[in-house]
Amino acid sequence: MKILVADDSRVMRQIVIRTLRQAGHGGHDIVEAQDGREALDLVRSESPDLVLSDWNMPEMNGIDVLTSLRASGSQVAFGFVTSEGSEEMRTRASQAGAAFLIAKPFTPEAFGEALAGIGL
Amino acid sequence: MMLEGPSFTDLHAVVDEVWTTFLGPEDPLLPALPDTGPGEGVTWSAATSVSGAWNGVVTVEIPDLVAQTATERMLGVAPGEALSTEDVADAVGELVNMIGGNVKSLMPGPSALSLPLVARGTIASPSDLTEVSHLDLTWAGSPLRVSVLARRDAPVHTLDQRESA
Repeated sequence: MKILVADDSRVMRQIVIRTLRQAGHGGHDIVEAQDGREALDLVRSESPDLVLSDWNMPEMNGIDVLTSLRASGSQVAFGFVTSEGSEEMRTRASQAGAAFLIAKPFTPEAFGEALAGIGL
Repeated sequence: MMLEGPSFTDLHAVVDEVWTTFLGPEDPLLPALPDTGPGEGVTWSAATSVSGAWNGVVTVEIPDLVAQTATERMLGVAPGEALSTEDVADAVGELVNMIGGNVKSLMPGPSALSLPLVARGTIASPSDLTEVSHLDLTWAGSPLRVSVLARRDAPVHTLDQRESA
């Protein structure tokens, strides 16, 4: 399986990748994007099975990436990993087509539950 | 009349969760003497703003040793390993981003969170901001400060949430 990790913070991308490993998802191919525009491009060129995306990123934020993907017909599994975990944000994420929203700071258990929820 | 902000208890819980989750439980955050600030020496400062139904800024001020140690732990590298200034700034920015995002979730919405601003040194607050709460803490023997400031033109509430916490 291929997972795209999109976050403008290299440190946070490393934490997400490490946490995936701790959650039992260490054997996957990982592709990294450092902003929303790059994430959108990499979904099209790399065809990941899952996108784990920050919300607040330069160039294009995560919700705009998701909206663009769905508008173009992409149904790639998409989850947010963001510091903003309010009900308002969760509702916006869900309405845009996200499978889940993991709030920072997070644990391996949170990743395990979220990925299990989409059958991974 | 007090400007609205997160309660002292909620702010402490947010900061403690961020620190414990990503920097490890072995060095707990402890209360510092009031108004000790981030201490002498090189300091890293980071800020993120919330704009919308609530308007404010969250800042973190930490000495270089805390910034370096936090970066090591967040990246999962060995203590003492050489770190780039970019990685330290990135890690400090993520700390304030997580605290700011959680503070945003505690306050009335809708609102938007800015990308973090990070500086080596101190960040002067705009004059239209008033501090509504701050935490002076120590971590691994070093001081740190987390502050929440609100805009003076934001809606005011009679409740001093720090006193009610």
